[in-house]
Amino acid sequence: MNELVAGIEDGSLGGRLWLYSNYHCNLTCAYCLTASSPKAPRRALPPDRMVELARQAAELGFTSVGVTGGEPFLIPEMPETLARMAAHLPVLVLSNATLFTDKLLARLAPLADLPVTAQVSLDSADADDNDRNRADGNFSSVVAAIPRLLAAGLAVRVATTGAPADDEARARLCALHSELGISDADHVTRPIVRRGRAGDNAAAVPPSTDNLFPELTVTAEGAYWSPFAPTITGGRTDTDLLICRVTEPLQHAVEHLLHIVGGRPPGAGAVAGIP
Amino acid sequence: MVSDRFAEGEPGAITASLAHVPELLCAISPFLRAIYGPSAISPRLKEIAVLRVSVRMQCRFCTQTHTAVARRSGLSRDEVVALRGRAPAETAFSDPRERALVRWAEAMALGPDPVAPAIMSLLAESFADHEVVELAMIASATMMLARYCTALELPPSAATLEQLRAEELL
Repeated sequence: MNELVAGIEDGSLGGRLWLYSNYHCNLTCAYCLTASSPKAPRRALPPDRMVELARQAAELGFTSVGVTGGEPFLIPEMPETLARMAAHLPVLVLSNATLFTDKLLARLAPLADLPVTAQVSLDSADADDNDRNRADGNFSSVVAAIPRLLAAGLAVRVATTGAPADDEARARLCALHSELGISDADHVTRPIVRRGRAGDNAAAVPPSTDNLFPELTVTAEGAYWSPFAPTITGGRTDTDLLICRVTEPLQHAVEHLLHIVGGRPPGAGAVAGIP
Repeated sequence: MVSDRFAEGEPGAITASLAHVPELLCAISPFLRAIYGPSAISPRLKEIAVLRVSVRMQCRFCTQTHTAVARRSGLSRDEVVALRGRAPAETAFSDPRERALVRWAEAMALGPDPVAPAIMSLLAESFADHEVVELAMIASATMMLARYCTALELPPSAATLEQLRAEELL
């Protein structure tokens, strides 16, 4: 058994290889750790490159691939790219669920027969609460999109960024996603990380190898410790969690990650990850 | 490398700049630790060589940083001032071994020819072969870093500048 597979099996390494398909987004969320927006530089991974990384990830022993951004569905070839990647490993694609037109849903239909899951963002059962950090009208877009994705045959999860304000808010949110057809098992909560547009958020998780779970993350600019790491401050790439620039072959990045993980003190346990 | 940065707190300017290319940082960090860390050459002797080379290479970052390090390594203010070229080294250093090191370090930095035989002989009379090898690598690495730091205009740390200001060594 190789070191990567052993790490994944004993829980010290993430089994999912994360890919940043792009950094631009049609939204400008208040807590976005990548400070994505319509004007953000795209920094896109070419579709063929993403497929090749999925192929190499499968060979190396990763168990799945995650695609995030930015908004992945701003990449015109994304539906077909997801299908090609799914030929190698199960794929989880994160989305703000605001771009699912009839035309796009038709192109996503073939994914129903493939191991592809769409994870859409929904922060609150209250439209105003949800939209405050995301965008006006975001709540209604997401609530409309989820049943349509399910009707198209796609597997769907709901992700909430930041914990609901209280138990009642959580209960109302869970009631809403259940009503939309998403089980509790497919509802995940992600931390807000003190990064990007949340850089001044004192309540957010400080980014470090100590409190971010090691999940290899490849972007157009290199490989990072975690999907919470590839961020930009003042137009410049943050390098504190950059582990290498070279990502071809993917083995090179894996070796750098393993080297760093191997150098951590015994008992070091990272806690935050994208579920 | 990222784990080093978190293990050692806020990184210095050289580490922070190399973090843009972690592959380089991974290779260079242990190299620099071997050269500037504990070894057969005492910290005092290392700083004599490093500071003299830094001054002759006209590297502001290296000169200011190693002025502070030299003071913490036990060099007197007069000795540091002399190494920075503001007083004759012959009067500041009474130990012939250290005087030989100052002259040799200066010759190394001024290059590009081999060090003059007379200067090399003085060094060889005072240091064992393995020490000469180590000193040559210390001086050479300092010359490389001097060009690197000057080219990128790396800033000395706030703590260094504060120390130098307090000792009127800026």
